[in-house]
Amino acid sequence: MTLAFDALSHVSDEALLIAFANGDREAAQALTLRLSPRVLSFATRMLGGDRAEAEDVTQDAMVRLWKIAAEWRQGEAKVTTWLYRVVSNLCTDRLRKRRGVDIDSIPEPIDDTPSADDTLQENARAKALENALAELPERQRQAVILRHIEGLSNPEISAIMDIGVEAVESLTARGKRGLAAILAERREELGYSDG
Amino acid sequence: MVDKRPLSDTELDDLFQAARDTAPLPSGDLVTRILADAKGVQDDLEADAAQALAAREPVGVFRSILAAIGGWPAAAGLATATVAGVMIGVATPESVESWTTGVLSFDVEAGELAPLFSDLLEEG
Repeated sequence: MTLAFDALSHVSDEALLIAFANGDREAAQALTLRLSPRVLSFATRMLGGDRAEAEDVTQDAMVRLWKIAAEWRQGEAKVTTWLYRVVSNLCTDRLRKRRGVDIDSIPEPIDDTPSADDTLQENARAKALENALAELPERQRQAVILRHIEGLSNPEISAIMDIGVEAVESLTARGKRGLAAILAERREELGYSDG
Repeated sequence: MVDKRPLSDTELDDLFQAARDTAPLPSGDLVTRILADAKGVQDDLEADAAQALAAREPVGVFRSILAAIGGWPAAAGLATATVAGVMIGVATPESVESWTTGVLSFDVEAGELAPLFSDLLEEG
């Protein structure tokens, strides 16, 4: 029996995970389609745009989710909170290894001269943001990504990062100020000048 | 003079939106790998469950013989000797022996099976 994926759209992550642990193949598909894009997007930004590494982290994080499914205790934590935390730790490990190997490991910005084409400009802006994020301290980067790109609430970020809500707000505020300053150099090429 | 003022909140929001709009999507290859991992874990869970279930079946042979003749209702309707005969006929020599030694906990000659079986029924 094959269900349309939207037939499962009202089922919670947790219910899908329990079904998964009981052998439900469709639950595996639904969870993969629902969660892997978020994991990939978060990991890609944390790792400064390294897509290949982000894919490895995504696969690794999902395996850990599959393995915890049979022991998942209902009502204790949100699946996404748990998953984001796992992804954060995996990214931190990789970033730590990079620092041990090469201090100048931040990817060089691509040539993203804006053009009249909207899509190109949007891609250029996204890339510029990604490069700027890579220059922030890790905890500020994480808080800004989770809040302003992944769209999570401060309480949820607080649970993922294991810090208080005020600390989350402080990190995002400092992160945004840092980004604003880093990107100031590129204001004109990003198309934000008054001229 | 080039404009190098720090970006405003509105401009940053614009960049965040651009990031969301251009979010990388998992490739088909990545999804395939994730689902293959999922299947592997599910297969392991199934194998573990089957093993645990098998470990809790000490009189498995008896049950399979009973199932072969249609369960207790069918067995109750038969004369004891007939049931014993069916059981001996259906079961392999080793399984009858393991049933008798396992359930009745002493060795039994084939001819003595009928009266012993009726004892088992009475205990029922």
